[in-house]
Amino acid sequence: MLVFILKRLLSGVITIWFIASATFLAMHAVPGDPLANPKAVSEEIRQNLASRYGLDQPLPKQYLVFMGNLLQGDFGISFTQKNRRVNDIIREHFPVSALLGVLALVIATAGGILWGALTAIYRDKWPDSLIMLLVVISISVPSFVFALLGQLAILKLNSWLGFSLLPVAGWGSLAHMWMPALVLGLGTMAYLTRLMRSSMLEVAAADYLRTARAKGLPGRRIFFRHQLRNAILPVVTVLGPAIAAITTGGFVVELVFAIPGLGRYFVQAVQQLDYTVIMGTTVFYGAFLVFMVLAVDILYGVIDPRIRLVGAGGE
Amino acid sequence: MSEMAGRQSLDLQLSADDLAPLPRSAAVETVVRPSLSYWQGAWRQLRGNTRSMLSLLTILTLLVFCFVTPLFIDFDTSSQDLTQISQSPGLARRSLVVDTAPWGGVAAQYREAAPAAEVFARSRVDDLRLQEAPHTEFVRLAWSALPGAVSYRVYRHILEPSAATDLGLPLGETERRGQVWFEDRLKLKTRTYYYSVVAVSATGAESAYSTLAATPRHAISVLDAGLRGLVDSGDPEVAGTEVDLPRHLLGTDYLGRDLLARLVVGGQTSLFIGLAAPLICAVFAILYGGLSGYLGGRIDELLMRFADFVIALPFLLFMILIRVAMGIGPGQSGVVPLLVALVALGWPSAAKLVRGQVLQLREQPFIAAAQLLGAGPNYLIWRHMLPNVMGVVLVSLTFAIPSAIFTEAFLSFIGMGVAPPTPSWGAMCNDGVASFLSHPHELLLPAAFISVTVLAFNMLGDGLRDALDAKLRD
Amino acid sequence: MTTAQAPALNVENLQVEFAVRGGRVQAVRGVSMAVQAGQTLAIVGESGCGKSVAMMSLLGLIPTPPGRVVAGSAQLQGRQLLGLPEQQLNRLRGAEIAMIFQDPMSALNPTMKIGDQIAETLRVHVGMPRREAWRRAVALLDRVGVPAAAERANQYPFEFSGGMLQRAMIAMSLACKPAVLIADEPTTALDVTIQNQVLDLMQELQREMGMAIVLITHDLGVVARMADQVAVMYAGQIVEYGSVEDIFARSAHPYTLGLKQAMPAVAGSGERLAAIAGSPPDLFAPPPGCGFCERCPYAMSICQRTGPQLLALDAGHSARCWLQHPQAAGQPAPVYRSEVQP
Repeated sequence: MLVFILKRLLSGVITIWFIASATFLAMHAVPGDPLANPKAVSEEIRQNLASRYGLDQPLPKQYLVFMGNLLQGDFGISFTQKNRRVNDIIREHFPVSALLGVLALVIATAGGILWGALTAIYRDKWPDSLIMLLVVISISVPSFVFALLGQLAILKLNSWLGFSLLPVAGWGSLAHMWMPALVLGLGTMAYLTRLMRSSMLEVAAADYLRTARAKGLPGRRIFFRHQLRNAILPVVTVLGPAIAAITTGGFVVELVFAIPGLGRYFVQAVQQLDYTVIMGTTVFYGAFLVFMVLAVDILYGVIDPRIRLVGAGGE
Repeated sequence: MSEMAGRQSLDLQLSADDLAPLPRSAAVETVVRPSLSYWQGAWRQLRGNTRSMLSLLTILTLLVFCFVTPLFIDFDTSSQDLTQISQSPGLARRSLVVDTAPWGGVAAQYREAAPAAEVFARSRVDDLRLQEAPHTEFVRLAWSALPGAVSYRVYRHILEPSAATDLGLPLGETERRGQVWFEDRLKLKTRTYYYSVVAVSATGAESAYSTLAATPRHAISVLDAGLRGLVDSGDPEVAGTEVDLPRHLLGTDYLGRDLLARLVVGGQTSLFIGLAAPLICAVFAILYGGLSGYLGGRIDELLMRFADFVIALPFLLFMILIRVAMGIGPGQSGVVPLLVALVALGWPSAAKLVRGQVLQLREQPFIAAAQLLGAGPNYLIWRHMLPNVMGVVLVSLTFAIPSAIFTEAFLSFIGMGVAPPTPSWGAMCNDGVASFLSHPHELLLPAAFISVTVLAFNMLGDGLRDALDAKLRD
Repeated sequence: MTTAQAPALNVENLQVEFAVRGGRVQAVRGVSMAVQAGQTLAIVGESGCGKSVAMMSLLGLIPTPPGRVVAGSAQLQGRQLLGLPEQQLNRLRGAEIAMIFQDPMSALNPTMKIGDQIAETLRVHVGMPRREAWRRAVALLDRVGVPAAAERANQYPFEFSGGMLQRAMIAMSLACKPAVLIADEPTTALDVTIQNQVLDLMQELQREMGMAIVLITHDLGVVARMADQVAVMYAGQIVEYGSVEDIFARSAHPYTLGLKQAMPAVAGSGERLAAIAGSPPDLFAPPPGCGFCERCPYAMSICQRTGPQLLALDAGHSARCWLQHPQAAGQPAPVYRSEVQP
């Protein structure tokens, strides 16, 4: 198990290095030097940047400086805002995104497992058809439509109730979080429902489920101890991509609901062409996702004895 | 156990004819089953799947809609019909041609002196009325003067006011003493408005409000109609006649641009990106994955390691990054950077699939058999590898298309995709956000096109995968 | 049947159908058989002949729908099995009648400890407390010859070899000392040497516990070694039924002959193994006559028109073949014919 974790950790670090390098290259492939544009950057910031990141130096040197800073956990400094460090931006805005993301992930996973199990129980009956229809809709409709419809739903609800049950946008209390988290988790929930359904059906046809019935176990016990437990395993394996989807899906949801998260900040930075913030947050997000995937891998290893005991089996 | 039954059979008398050897026909031995090629079988399976066929039909319809109809109809995506901004979908509208010359107002009849303050606060203006039938060029209000009033404030609300604090949009305050009329020319739509008038005394105190509902009909000014060639503006008789406005079947957007035209041309952009990027990816994936699988060994390992790294890049972040890095100059649509980014990040998963398939095929006995029979690498690749690899590629392609369309929509929505004024379904959604609450069709129409396209490709992909899987299982 | 004792399992005229698009497949077409306590009945036949389906339908293990028991009765120690509500069937399954399956690798829950899977049976049927059930599970594993049973009970199926898994499977099925054990090709997935060990173990446990075994197999070698009685199945029907000597020494059905000729040990070295040409009939629309007549080298005209019934030859030996009809006695065919014909 330890060997497995170490191996994964190493490949994670290499991946982060690759992401950082790719980010660096992409940003320096910008035609013309963005720093040379006097309109984009004030003289003061330029001085600051130049001395700090060796921007007057040749590219390989800049790369080394960039990497060195990253190693020290320094993601850089804002390009358009004076004296604003990317680290501060992340520290300020990321917890908001993380909270929203965790809530969305919980909703998506719990919902996906529940709905998926239900469709499998009621296979080919109307609850199955209904849930699968909703799943198809959730997968086919862009998330921003759901975000806007969610807002509209809150508006209608509030005006119908005659008082403000849920705020339409903004951040600050739990009441602010429900709708954005639901919208953010919806696509992932639909995907997980589909996965859970096919996984449940696959397990239902497995030999060991027949064995369990031949043993005369009561239906409830077969369902929970034998079918559900094994069917959940594939769901755990896709939690990594699910986290990635929720993280990037957060861009739109934060934008629509005016949530001061890192996603919205990132989109704003992109619109303002704040190169260093784009670079810093991209590397940060990349590292975050790599570690999340790693954490999910380890979690999976803990849950599935086949991987826990054999070790690095999951290449 | 079955002895009773046995007796019955034993009791049966057999004739000599019964005992004659069974004549054998050759036909019994041959199994009659038409042999189908891989693709024929898959196609037959797919044709049996209603949902897939419906999806295929939908996709073809969309393609015809976006790429064939413009050959016959000239869609104008950029001209702004300012008389019909944010128009809902519908048939041709008739519009009243009206003279928009300034209004002189009505004369007020002065009455007795100002009452006491509390009386003034309780009283309200009488006889609030529409001076002319309301239309979208102007709504003319008039009322009787209230004793003690020096001016009047006029409000407009889209809901019926419930309290003095809920009168809606303040339109203005009358300026001249004794002005007991008001003309509203502020972005009028064909919907019901509630006008409220409050009188103001010399001390600044407000009276109670009077409310009047008005539903303007669509109108166009004589000048405008003349400019558009709808009427001859020199004709003095023209005011008061009705004209047909240009038709906007699916309505217009916030700039008065025809949504149908923009949906067609926007669909070209979205579908082009959605189809071209996965296609280029697929070609590259076949080359990369095929080479990797065919060569094997260290090169294979190296190539696949690189593919793994590219897969590990956070997709949307790098989409944005590449898009920013490439930048778009003035007058460019931003389609090319999107394509480049989609291809740069999208190829590895398909390449890995191809490589896996090639590795699997290499071990298949029929490849060895073909080699034994003297087949060269060219023959092997073209005759055996490619047709077998095409199956997985086709399935992954079908699933990559909706994902590319989604990505375009997502990026355009956050303003990082196709640059205005080029329409794309995603960019149109972005345009529609601002007016979503008042005119949801501006967002929902392009969103519906995205959804239907994505749904159709996803279902076709499901069916295709099932069909090819079934064929592989046989 | 002349035995005084009631059979452990007695099946009469079992018929099983599967609904498919556009009709039904008659997978089992009137199967009758009986097995005494302490005895082994082998059901032999090629794959798809309905032998597994027949046995699984007794335990309610065929997927319903599409599967359905159309007719028949099955008595387990005098108690009717078919048509029992799920709850009552659950009390019998695993306790009175147990089943082991072909592929032990996939027949055990991959994410549950072996010990737990055995103990689970005891806890559900006997109501044993957790610790006691675990101790009993370890003892059972030890009994079926799993070395270091106490540790291995803590392991998961993927840590076991195939042979060990089948031993664990046997331990699991015998935990409640059932009266009948149905073994569905228990050794097919195993290496030959392991096969022998597992078969030895089954015989040993049968002597010890006295249960009846229904052994489903397509391997005549296993039959010869294990069985007391043999039922040869073809196309959903029993075509020959008798003692193991009857089947091997006095084969009365051309299909049994064919099976024997396709078996290396019986055919003998240097002799050519003869496969049975052709394939079984489509049970979607079973032929009116004998299902084997298209493949039978001795087929007569009547075979194609009318299906024969099981004809009794000697006590306990019967065959479903027109060649056994007294008037067909003169037909040239190397089948055994009863000397005590009426």
